[in-house]
Amino acid sequence: MKQYLYIEMDNCIGCRSCLAACTQCGGHDQRNRNYVYDVNPLVDRQTIPLMCLHCVNPACARSCPAQAIQITAEGAVLSALVEKCIGCQNCTIACPYGIPKFDEAQNLMYKCDLCYDRTKEGIPPMCASVCPTNTLQWVTEDELSMKKEQHRLGKWMSSREPFDPLEGETNVKISLPGILQGKQKLF
Amino acid sequence: MDRAFASKFAKMMFLTISGLFILMFIGSRFFTHIDMALYGYMVGTFVFIAGFFYRFIAWAERPPAKLILTKGLKLLLRRSTPQTTAEHLVTYQFIWHRGWYRWTQHVLLGWGCILSALVTFPLVFGWMYFTMDENGYYTVVGFGLDLMKIQADGILAFLFFNALNITAFMVIGGVCMALYRRLKDMQARAEQSFVYDFLPLYLLLFISLTGLLLTFNNIFLHGFGHPVVTVIHQWSVIITLIYLPFGKLAHIPFRPMSVLARNYREHYGEQAMKACKVCGTGFVSEEQSKDVIAVLKQNDIEFQMKEGFHLAELCLPCRRKYRMSRFAGVATHQVKVKEANQNAKG
Repeated sequence: MKQYLYIEMDNCIGCRSCLAACTQCGGHDQRNRNYVYDVNPLVDRQTIPLMCLHCVNPACARSCPAQAIQITAEGAVLSALVEKCIGCQNCTIACPYGIPKFDEAQNLMYKCDLCYDRTKEGIPPMCASVCPTNTLQWVTEDELSMKKEQHRLGKWMSSREPFDPLEGETNVKISLPGILQGKQKLF
Repeated sequence: MDRAFASKFAKMMFLTISGLFILMFIGSRFFTHIDMALYGYMVGTFVFIAGFFYRFIAWAERPPAKLILTKGLKLLLRRSTPQTTAEHLVTYQFIWHRGWYRWTQHVLLGWGCILSALVTFPLVFGWMYFTMDENGYYTVVGFGLDLMKIQADGILAFLFFNALNITAFMVIGGVCMALYRRLKDMQARAEQSFVYDFLPLYLLLFISLTGLLLTFNNIFLHGFGHPVVTVIHQWSVIITLIYLPFGKLAHIPFRPMSVLARNYREHYGEQAMKACKVCGTGFVSEEQSKDVIAVLKQNDIEFQMKEGFHLAELCLPCRRKYRMSRFAGVATHQVKVKEANQNAKG
């Protein structure tokens, strides 16, 4: 059964649990691969988590000269294969969201791999399993379509129109903050 | 000249095989010292070369690979090339930074294989052989020239004749370390597959074990079974050679690309840095930013924003903040505040 990482942006309280949990994933080497950003830092405390959105047509992989970035059958865009990555950093320049990180000493790119050791078994990724406010959720297709239904199908999701918050289709699904929806949202 | 050949592949194959043939002719003193027992390896090498060119040319045609390859080759004579080459291809310094275990494993595997190749192929092509003019002394002949005289029971001779035994132990050690890591490491366990990750290790292990078995047969069984084991060993080496360009082991011939990539980054970084279209900090060379935009365009990916910039023209923090603005409608990237702490260690 295909499951998705789903981001309910409204809910984020900026606790950074997702960053801490990311460091604990197998193979992540104690370093986090995701971000939490202040939306309007001098005005309010709204934060939004940002992680690899696992594009269906990932620019990072398309720009990699060494074919080091593999895409799994489930749609997860994996971190660079260590034996293939040649350290050119094309992927960091190509990614529309600025996600891949680069370790100069190891000459290696590393990025969110959707905790592939967990998600391929249907276990939520580290970030989603610790999120205290349900900002990050690991949902089934049915649950996703229910959420879409709640949001009046597509209007406030990452659909192309009228707002187009993403560059192309992604395997991570998002729900935009309520500010854009023009109404209060309860979680 | 190009019209003489049906394809790039045909041209490269013809030139390489001809070159190898000429080198064999000179190196083996006009074909007088070809070891016919190693004939199978020679044919295997020719097939390997065909496979390698097929794979390499197909791969080098991809837009990003082509860019780094052509630009990197032009910069090959940079002053930093010898040092970069040594760090990337000899000492594996970058793997050291990934951990001592992986470095040790890789040195054993990598240098075990490279040294084995350096011993095997000169023997196969007749570039190196031993003659005995004087009783008790071997003359080492390299490329038709008498290089040195060594005592037949001396330490040098021991190392020469046992070189492949020593490298076999290195490879076995490396394979064992790699297998242990693949059984224990959680990320490796999640991503690995039998054919991609384990098969090359088992092939190397099989080659090393059958190679050692040859020595065992000679010393302890007075040569019993040697003719059979030598064919099995030869078969395993040839299979591995032919498979090499198509699986995980392809990273061996492709690895020099990392030197080209480093040169490319260093050279164009010195020329001009690209200033982020939002905050103005230089984050990558102008050339690379331009190249990535071109490569993405060839893949039908356009990240041209209505604000007037391409996303590859923003530094990474600004690109992430710009995404916030697309999510929330607040121009986060225009707020002149350093990004908040993104380090989970607090």
